[in-house]
Amino acid sequence: MDHLYQTKRISLLKDKMLNAPRYASIEQARIITRVYKENPDLSIAKKRALSLKTVLEEIEIGVEPEELIVGNRTKGVRYGVVFPESGCSWVNQEFESLPTRPQDRFLIHDEDVKEFRENIFPFWQGKSMEDKIKNRYGKEIDAMSKVVKINQKDHAQGHICPDSSLWLKLGPQGLMDQAKEKLNTCREDQREFYECTIMVLQGACTFMHRYGQYIDSILDKQSLQNQESLKVVRNHCYFLAKNPPHHFHQALQSLWFLFVILHMESNASSFSPGRMDQYLYPFYKKDKETGLIDDQQALELIECLWLKFNEIVYLRNKNSAKYFAGFPIGFNIAIGGLDQNGKSTYNEVSLLCLKAQYHLGLPQPNLSVRLNKGTSHKLMQEAIKVVAKGSGMPQFFNDEAIVQTMIHDLNIEPQDAYNYAIVGCVELTTHGNNLGWSDAAMFNFNKALELTLNHGKCLLTHQQIGLDLGGLDTYQTYHDLERAFKKQIDYFIEEMMKAEQVVEKAHQECLPTAFLSTVIDDCLEKGLDVTRGGAKYNLSGIQMIQIANLADSLAALKKLVYDEKMIDQNELLKALQNDFKGYEVIQTMLLNKVPKYGNDVAWVDKMGCKWAEYFRERMKDYTNYRGGPYHTGMYTVSAHVPMGENVGASPDGRNALTPLADGGMSPVYGRDLSGPTAVLKSVSRLNNSLTTNGGLLNMKFLPEFFKTESGMNKFEILLRAFVDLQIPHIQFNVVRKEDLLDAKVHPERHRSLTIRVAGYTAYFVELAGKLQDEIIERKTYDNI
Amino acid sequence: MTTSKALVFDIKRFAVHDGFGIRTTVFFKGCPLRCKWCQNPEGLSIEREPIYFKNKCIHCYQCLKLSRHGQIDNKNGIIHIHNHHESFEEIVQACPANAITYDSQYYTIDELFKKIKADEVFFRDGGGVTFSGGEPFMQGPFLIEILKKCKAEKIHTALETSLYTSLDLIKEALPYLDLIYADLKVFDDDLHQQYTGVSVNRIKDNLSYILRSIHRDKVIVRTPLIPSMNATDENIKSISQFLIDLYPNVKYELLNYNPLASSKYELYNFTYGVSKQYKMFTQEKMQHFYNVVLQTGLKNLIIE
Repeated sequence: MDHLYQTKRISLLKDKMLNAPRYASIEQARIITRVYKENPDLSIAKKRALSLKTVLEEIEIGVEPEELIVGNRTKGVRYGVVFPESGCSWVNQEFESLPTRPQDRFLIHDEDVKEFRENIFPFWQGKSMEDKIKNRYGKEIDAMSKVVKINQKDHAQGHICPDSSLWLKLGPQGLMDQAKEKLNTCREDQREFYECTIMVLQGACTFMHRYGQYIDSILDKQSLQNQESLKVVRNHCYFLAKNPPHHFHQALQSLWFLFVILHMESNASSFSPGRMDQYLYPFYKKDKETGLIDDQQALELIECLWLKFNEIVYLRNKNSAKYFAGFPIGFNIAIGGLDQNGKSTYNEVSLLCLKAQYHLGLPQPNLSVRLNKGTSHKLMQEAIKVVAKGSGMPQFFNDEAIVQTMIHDLNIEPQDAYNYAIVGCVELTTHGNNLGWSDAAMFNFNKALELTLNHGKCLLTHQQIGLDLGGLDTYQTYHDLERAFKKQIDYFIEEMMKAEQVVEKAHQECLPTAFLSTVIDDCLEKGLDVTRGGAKYNLSGIQMIQIANLADSLAALKKLVYDEKMIDQNELLKALQNDFKGYEVIQTMLLNKVPKYGNDVAWVDKMGCKWAEYFRERMKDYTNYRGGPYHTGMYTVSAHVPMGENVGASPDGRNALTPLADGGMSPVYGRDLSGPTAVLKSVSRLNNSLTTNGGLLNMKFLPEFFKTESGMNKFEILLRAFVDLQIPHIQFNVVRKEDLLDAKVHPERHRSLTIRVAGYTAYFVELAGKLQDEIIERKTYDNI
Repeated sequence: MTTSKALVFDIKRFAVHDGFGIRTTVFFKGCPLRCKWCQNPEGLSIEREPIYFKNKCIHCYQCLKLSRHGQIDNKNGIIHIHNHHESFEEIVQACPANAITYDSQYYTIDELFKKIKADEVFFRDGGGVTFSGGEPFMQGPFLIEILKKCKAEKIHTALETSLYTSLDLIKEALPYLDLIYADLKVFDDDLHQQYTGVSVNRIKDNLSYILRSIHRDKVIVRTPLIPSMNATDENIKSISQFLIDLYPNVKYELLNYNPLASSKYELYNFTYGVSKQYKMFTQEKMQHFYNVVLQTGLKNLIIE
């Protein structure tokens, strides 16, 4: 496939996309509000379905004449959609600041602000999910927020891998036929679900048909060449409005419509296509055999889809944009992996996906490669070529770490575990039958430790926010300290779980999602919406923040304070309370006189694991609102920066307010002094049951490493060892520090420079300065 | 020096530049040569010595409080280390910044082997352990013991050596080595003595033995090219000729000059003997040197 190139069409479309201004849009909010106002007597589920259908019928659409894959949820590219059902109080507060806020800016139209304030916001006050949660439990959620950040309070829960193969097999018409059949024989309590389903599927058909009509309306004005390709696209749109796809091009178009509509329904982050190379292969193979397409054409189509993945972003509130900076919309695609019998597999579509990433180097899709002991040299080398290009992709997942853990720890059926996919950044899911509720909350162990050391009082605000179980001045032994820490953790787990129930209940009430439910197995069968537990698997994932700092802090406390008594416990408490001002010698000792996580020192590595394992074990005591289990993950996205802003000085020698370790499983930056192999060894000590919701490990390499064949081969060796060590995830930034520094000074010269933030790639110049600095500081491995 | 413990000044994991695969390089302390361009001055002395890192020091002066017999003095805020024969154990322990630390560490066979084995999972496809220095044969009995242990555990072993050692030790080590990097730096004995402090004859004798033995295919002979010293056509030509006379299929490698080592010297009582004006050789110049080698008829020249 070395001869395949990027066509002019793709370059042109890419430039258009990168140069399009990004606005906030209230168009969908206007339609939804109107439907709600006109139909006050309908149930929320019906209102939701009807408003989606109406949006699909009415929203303004557009097509670029060069496009081979069409469709978007707004006419403008990368627009931020205001979505009132989930929440718009924050929009009311932040609307004017959208163009100037530090992270994820959007332009605004003054008339939109006015219309929003006059006609939209007043209607939703107290009715949106955001307001309901705030009214019911806002105070409690705020009170715990420095330790436990509850997520999904003002937007729908995405992070879902729909059953794309089913969608491609049946199309909206076929699904509708199924729903109609069910409606004839269903119980009374299922009736509304099926009626809603039929309504939204009708909308989906209309939406596709409208694209055909739109193209007809612009056809005359186009150049001859574009006319020809547009006619093909138009025919596909008309065809797909009535039929499931037959050909590769149709399949890609159909798939894109699915994801556009999912975004229109939920306005949530991360609907992920999953194992595209597996379910698209039959289409590719058939077209290739009949001579309908060659690899160059197939690649161009895939690259068109890749561009579309970059055209949807997601409007978050200011705080959330800090935690998830740079639009991680999470079109995660997993290639390679295992087949239904558990055997290693890949095909030509896998290689085409890599090629498309090699050419485009854009933040989306979030391309992942599933590795295992049987992964072929070919797939490895092609993937490494893309890594060397420096877009931070693909990231790698380890079947050897994940599959068996899913089966044993989450009771997932083997064929579902073999077929796992990734949603969003690094969150693991089964394919097409799971509401995983990833990242339900983030639990900050370092804040919990701070409260344990300081009588339950916040070091930053001096407020009493945790239990007063004593302090570093009173714990006589390390064991005393551990006992108190355990109680503090228990207390916040309990608080977190109460809040989780409130949030999930509000989702059921406010955001039933009929369309999504048609592509999540068993919802249609059970006649039950996905938010109510219709999916085959119903999980909730809690993130543990940040085990690296925790391990370093506890190791310092144990060794320097309690075992060797090099530091006096009262003095250390004072040092922490004063953010080490006047206590520089103590801080220096904390940093230097005890080994750190990430250097292959088993006892230190285990200091953190122990508490993560305790936490994971406690999760078994709880059941989520849909009746499924809780589990855990270790991935922070960009949250290590704001999470660090919540934590005072810590016994690992870290100053107050500074970032925590990045990633989730990564060592604290600058403390991994023994090279990448030692990091991998340390990380491998984390039990895989801790990361069934996903784990994240960052590494940075210099581009020089990949210059020679021997370098490429050594990188493969490193990856194969990663597989053997059963670490669930790894990702690489391959970039020169100087380029990043230059991009800070001259953003205009580096507009398309992409960087791995944490489980996702973003444009470097679109990140806030603080996060840019933090990424620059991460340790780089070169020719050691 | 007993075999029970070796003095090691560094253990570098993920060494990917010398040898095949991913390697762990163990740097033994002590060297009989005094090459003017030495890249690892920290490996020259056979003694364990305290060193002081100015840039790490936070000037808390804890060390002064523990100093005995003028081990440490403070001149205008600058710390100096004296009297290295006193134990610095307590001071090293106490220094909060590790600004005063020992330059090397003693390892038993088991301790060192544990360090090597830590990266075993990465040693596939030709990776393994490399023993370097200093001159590993300075601690010969220990070296042979650790080589045996590695071989018993099927770990690929490589050695970087000046070959300035006894032939008996070499003979004992050879069966347990998979790869030997042997330096032949300067052909002319007078010049060799001038630049390295020792005669080249012993090195040539040892090399002659190895290149005629059954172990000859394990060897890669190397010459580091030092501007104004050994990087001359004549030197390279003589070495090449000498090598092919011993074994026509000999593997030979020229190493480009690396000027970065000079910065390490300020920590040690040695002076860097190459003028600061010299940089790495250009690709054209390297090609010229390669041609000199190839013209002698040497076939297996390794070119990066």
